[in-house]
Amino acid sequence: MKATSAELQTRVKDLFEDGTISHFIGYETGSDSLRVAPCFLEGSQEIGRLVWNPVCANNLAKYLLDFKNVPGRVGIMVKGCDSRSVVELLKENQIDRDRVFIVGVPCSGIVDREKLLQVMGISPTQVVAVQDEGDSFLVTLTDGEQRVDKEKVLRDECLVCRYPNPPVYDVLTGETVSRLPWVGDDYSMVKEQEALSLEEKATYWNRELSQCIRCYACRNICPVCTCSECIFDKKAPRWISKANDLSENLVYHLIRAFHVAGRCVDCGECERACPMNIPLRRLNKKVEKDMLELFNYTAGIDVEQQPPLTTYRVDDLDEFM
Amino acid sequence: MQKTKEIQTEFKPKILAFCCNWCAYAGADLAGVSRFQMPTDVRVIRVMCSGRVPPELVIRALANGLDGVMVLGCHPGDCHYSEGNYLTRRRAHILKRLLTYIGIEPERFQLRWVSASEGAKFSAVVKEVTDQITALGPNRWAEKR
Amino acid sequence: MATPRIGAFICHCGTNIGGIVNVPEVVEYAKGLPYVAHAEANLYTCSEEGISSIKRAIEQYDLNRVVVASCTPRTHQPLFRSVCADAGLNPYLFEFVNIREHCSWIHREHHQEATEKAKDLVKMGVAKARWLEAQQEFESDIYPAGMVIGGGIAGMSAALNLANQGFEVHLVEKEPGLGGRLLRLNRIFTIDKDPRELVENIVKAVGNHPRIRVHMPASVKAVSGYIGNFDVSVDEDGQETSFKVGVIIVATGAQVLKPELYGYGESANVLTQLDLEEKLKDGELGKFQNVVMINCAGARIPERPYCSRVCCMTAIKNAALMKEINPEGKVYLLYRDLMTYGVEFEQYYRDAKEAGVRFIRYTLDALPRVSGTESVEAVKVYDELMDMEIELPCDLLVLATPLIPNDDNEELSRMLKASTGDGGFFLEAHVKLRPVEFAMDGVYVAGTCRWPADIRESIAQGYAAASEAMIPLRQGLVKVEAITAVVDPRICKGCGTCTLVCPFEAAGLKECEIRGLEGKIVSEVNAALCKGCGLCAAACPNGAIQQRGFTDVELMSMVNAMSGKR
Repeated sequence: MKATSAELQTRVKDLFEDGTISHFIGYETGSDSLRVAPCFLEGSQEIGRLVWNPVCANNLAKYLLDFKNVPGRVGIMVKGCDSRSVVELLKENQIDRDRVFIVGVPCSGIVDREKLLQVMGISPTQVVAVQDEGDSFLVTLTDGEQRVDKEKVLRDECLVCRYPNPPVYDVLTGETVSRLPWVGDDYSMVKEQEALSLEEKATYWNRELSQCIRCYACRNICPVCTCSECIFDKKAPRWISKANDLSENLVYHLIRAFHVAGRCVDCGECERACPMNIPLRRLNKKVEKDMLELFNYTAGIDVEQQPPLTTYRVDDLDEFM
Repeated sequence: MQKTKEIQTEFKPKILAFCCNWCAYAGADLAGVSRFQMPTDVRVIRVMCSGRVPPELVIRALANGLDGVMVLGCHPGDCHYSEGNYLTRRRAHILKRLLTYIGIEPERFQLRWVSASEGAKFSAVVKEVTDQITALGPNRWAEKR
Repeated sequence: MATPRIGAFICHCGTNIGGIVNVPEVVEYAKGLPYVAHAEANLYTCSEEGISSIKRAIEQYDLNRVVVASCTPRTHQPLFRSVCADAGLNPYLFEFVNIREHCSWIHREHHQEATEKAKDLVKMGVAKARWLEAQQEFESDIYPAGMVIGGGIAGMSAALNLANQGFEVHLVEKEPGLGGRLLRLNRIFTIDKDPRELVENIVKAVGNHPRIRVHMPASVKAVSGYIGNFDVSVDEDGQETSFKVGVIIVATGAQVLKPELYGYGESANVLTQLDLEEKLKDGELGKFQNVVMINCAGARIPERPYCSRVCCMTAIKNAALMKEINPEGKVYLLYRDLMTYGVEFEQYYRDAKEAGVRFIRYTLDALPRVSGTESVEAVKVYDELMDMEIELPCDLLVLATPLIPNDDNEELSRMLKASTGDGGFFLEAHVKLRPVEFAMDGVYVAGTCRWPADIRESIAQGYAAASEAMIPLRQGLVKVEAITAVVDPRICKGCGTCTLVCPFEAAGLKECEIRGLEGKIVSEVNAALCKGCGLCAAACPNGAIQQRGFTDVELMSMVNAMSGKR
């Protein structure tokens, strides 16, 4: 990511001052140097809070929903993945394009906090800042600097990213990214899972999903989970019981996988938010792969592309005689 | 698949069959009128179109412990509502793959096409699916592994 | 909502159900189900007695839901719904459980398991009934016109009937002339008259009728819509014509099988009965000394197990005629069984025998064999009654072949959503109870396209189909079954998924006008266009749109009941 925080601040300050926007959704420093938090600016006087750096993991698209009924125009900064979420929100009329100003920020990878700490053998308090240097990150520590290969410390979803440049934006801040040399087979993780025996598969998911505490953080943080009344909160019918057992956990995750089918852009937020480290991407990526193979569909690229489960082709695969 | 317990009595599965009113349900009626004898393990729920069946309900049914869920609709191209079964077909692909991915035997969810005049086919499908699911044994949803 | 008080009526259906399912046991079981206030058995729930019993129970036990467990809802659901209405209960507070076609009839050797299954099914039906809500039907106008496809005797009869009753009729005929196969015939059995006498008057009446518009030669290209509002597009000799009708009658007829049997197509002296009729009519038939006719040629065999109804009489008619043309010549009619039912036909057969036609019986396992060099010269047949094989010299062989479906039946079937059945003939809604209509509302059937029929039957069916078709036309409106979709605007997030999946564009996004939700973009369903398929309900992510009578709660309750969950 070539743009610096300063460049972004200048851009957004101008947008406030020329009246283009009345609010801005961005990032500000979080509880330590390896975290950021979403921030909601109401004027150029707060511009100093805004940051843009390799730890800006959050998908801010979700917060556009909070501004539906706020008068004025809200600005937002979006990475490639975040912008794809915006495309999905536009497809479903969840945001009014005219009342949103999109600042696209091309991104060449976000740091995975845990990977960085482990690879460098440090604790978070030792980190001062992280900078993007193309194929590596420059990590400023309290006692010096170190470079680390991006491939070793990028978030998992960044390692398979195909869209570093936002497909939808009003203005771009930073140079477009032309190559991501570490991106290989997007679906190696899924294929690895598919190759397991039925018993191994069941054992794996039963183990992983037994850990779920049904905090619903994955649902809450997901940018395409936009229903104000979620089916999992319904009493009639009750799709899952309150019991936090494996059976109900399986139902929850399978239904949610189905609900985000064709809308999930693999931003990775669900897995990042999960307090139990459940490999949720490994589940949703499978549906993404099937959508591509069966229906030649990729989410979040083209606002005009119809959701695959709302349409059909007469010659669709038919295994069901 | 290894079973950890010996099954003492013969396993009789519980199989749900969603049948669309215009084709599959009528085909099932024809099978009845023709007196084609079938295993007794299937229970039919009538819907107007196979496209009414939400994948969530299939998941819920399996989680409840039902051993198999079938959705039976009109042959593609013959849907009474012109397109319903095409959507059912797409949903079924994703659902079947997802269920397999988490370790549920794919035969536990089946989509079949049965027309109003295919009483014999309905009967054959019921027999076939009952046999398949009987061979799989009881649904092991969320079973300790 | 008042506490549900469900009445469960378990039918014996004589011994159809009661002979296999232990009905009293099911009744006792039903009594213990949640919200069941009353359960009883009936011998025939659809009888006067059964119906009175339901009405009585509704009053006596203050029932507000009714569940009948008997045959298929596809037959009697309308009946029981109106029984409920008569008793003051909204007809949509009724649920049908099928324990006959789906239970007793298919598990005849397993009484106990059938009983357990019946209990399960009743449990599921009761579980759903608990959630049923009173519904109001939406009414839609009917376009006061009909289309008849096929200008043969059945089609023309239907068209005239409809038109004489005061309705506009579009008659679509694919040949360049009306009259169908009748005009190719030489004589009509038993009256032995030239068909032209019969047909020409009818053709004239059709042509002159102010309310009948004949499209000819023309074929139907596309049909969309629903009863009362069909949009039809017809290819009329290269030009496209479109029109609206309220009802459609299919009378497209059938064709005569040209078999690959007995040298047909190879030898010049082998004809079908239809070929013979045409030659006789055109005066092209010579004199023959030894006429052999073979009935059931290509009929009543494994590939085509049905009897084509009209060929026996046709063959007897022509056999007697051949004797008339050449009294010294020999005429043999080889048959397997003779379909000459009733008084007139039986008499016709006797007369033919007296005229000198020799009837020889053969069986399926000993078919006649033809021989000859360039043409058929002899026919060997094992005469069952004489128990010996005889060889008949033959200079003309006539085969009575069955009627088979037209080649375009499949396409028409798809266009109209009208089912085809065994062998490709059209399939009526119910083989016994609804002989001239399709399951698809507003589409009717008459004549040989449904099953081989003679002239009398074709005319009667034409009248019958027109008569049925006139019911909605006369009523002037069609009541849309109250199983259409409804949106809850409080839950709807306006994502538009339902609008994308609806095959009829019945759901659309609009600004909500409800107090408190003003300006919210939500989906709304046009009840006139909604066909009640439920695709929207399955696609909706949060259950905002539901299909009445098949809501998520209702379906889930059945699944839970079956799986033993609350």
